[in-house]
Amino acid sequence: MNEYNQSANDWRGVIRRNNRNSVIVIGIFILMYVALGLLVDTFIYSQRYFQAPLGPIFHQIITLKLFPYATLISTFIAIISLWIVFIFHDKIMLLGTEYHEITPESAANLQEKQFYNIIEEMKVAAGLRFMPRVFIIEADYMNAFASGYSEKSAMVAITRGLLEKLDRDEIQAVMAHEISHVRHMDIKLTLMASILSNIMLVAIDVLFWNAYFSGSRRREGSGGSWLVLVIIVLRYVLPLVNMMLMLFLSRTREYMADAGCVELTRNNEPLARALLKIEGDTQANVEDYTKQYNQSTHDSLRRESYIYDPSMAGIGTHNAMSEWFSTHPSLENRLAALGYKPKK
Amino acid sequence: MSLFVILALVLLVVAFTIMTYNTLIAMIEAVRNNQKQIDIQLDRRFKVFESLIEVVKKYMDYEKSTLKDVTALRAQAQTAKASGDIAGQMAAENKISGVVSGLNLVFENYPDLKANQNAMELQEEIVSTENKLAFAKQAFNDSIETYNARKKMFFTAFVVAGFKSKLDFDYPYWQLASADEVKQKEDYTVKL
Repeated sequence: MNEYNQSANDWRGVIRRNNRNSVIVIGIFILMYVALGLLVDTFIYSQRYFQAPLGPIFHQIITLKLFPYATLISTFIAIISLWIVFIFHDKIMLLGTEYHEITPESAANLQEKQFYNIIEEMKVAAGLRFMPRVFIIEADYMNAFASGYSEKSAMVAITRGLLEKLDRDEIQAVMAHEISHVRHMDIKLTLMASILSNIMLVAIDVLFWNAYFSGSRRREGSGGSWLVLVIIVLRYVLPLVNMMLMLFLSRTREYMADAGCVELTRNNEPLARALLKIEGDTQANVEDYTKQYNQSTHDSLRRESYIYDPSMAGIGTHNAMSEWFSTHPSLENRLAALGYKPKK
Repeated sequence: MSLFVILALVLLVVAFTIMTYNTLIAMIEAVRNNQKQIDIQLDRRFKVFESLIEVVKKYMDYEKSTLKDVTALRAQAQTAKASGDIAGQMAAENKISGVVSGLNLVFENYPDLKANQNAMELQEEIVSTENKLAFAKQAFNDSIETYNARKKMFFTAFVVAGFKSKLDFDYPYWQLASADEVKQKEDYTVKL
């Protein structure tokens, strides 16, 4: 902590900037989704009228003279799957961990009671109309996460390790970060983006194999060949673009939650201290914590809403491509956004 | 065609007016609720501290006068509130805060008491209660900020001008009542 210069944090500015970034990302996602739907439609109609050039077909679809079935159907699928996921989401968040719920009556000791008080205080500060459900996860590693976006499903969870090792102010900062996630509806947003992205990937895959087989059957010259080329390129570029967008969105929301923490507590120091402590502690116990993180299955579900991404300390649970990049900004960048720059 | 354009424009203006109106109403109610939230927290604090003093009574004689003080101050606050004297009410509530910080010091002076689990729990209760009160005031000021900023924005200001009695309120921010009070709190140091 002493190695950093402290300065004030402009949380209003940070929130405004990152909010704008999120709107841009979500806008790009929706545009991509519609564009892909239209591409599928163009492909289907070009199969049916394979003498006609592509330009007029596309124009007819845009002006609704040819009905864009695929675009509408895929939008419908997206809405249905979003709805289903929103219903079941809070039930899967705690999957694979050993946890118990805290209420004012069930708090076993002063520490747990204090933890509950802290969340109540943050609820008052945020002006929430509901009290989120509070959970403690029985694990030594230091982490916390929030989930939900409505009165029914809002919840915050903290690991025993974090509760033991941080002081009151630091826990308050961590919880303010989590409550900010709930308040900014980050869970809803990232879920929506990831569902759109997954449907897009399935659609482009189906389209690819369709084009592959129909292409080998017929060999007509017209515009069909460059449409196939576009599909081939998209099949390899789209997953990459989607992943970059998702990561950018997730990091944007992290910055916003950090700024939201300063908004609620009007103090940037405890969060900076807590982050440094968590990082130090995780690095000191990498081996032990790797084991524990791996024991709790379905960890990838929680990763995006953790306060601290364990893969930053080299704890990876899977070897998926997304592990190469972190869902969170680096500690240094987060501290800088909070107003802490390392002394030279 | 031109008729269509005009119709579209009118529709746009009406839609904007309705949306702005509804948002502002929601904001006004949020401010009002947050204002009452301060009262809720004040009330909660009184109840919590009353029961706190009941427990502490077993340990010291100090508390008998304290309890009397708090009860008297509470009565003072109530009558001030009933007569609409906000400043008087705030002054009495602030004095309760002073008594309570005295209590906190008493805890420090009795190691035996400090080690006691009940006392520690009650101390946590004091901290949390005072925090909740402060956060309620903060939330109140924050909601006034959002409302005021929106109200004065370009275009929105026109809608507000159209429905002045419904949408235009002037809520003062919560703050210390006088310059003397600010000075007194600024200069405050802990004396043991």
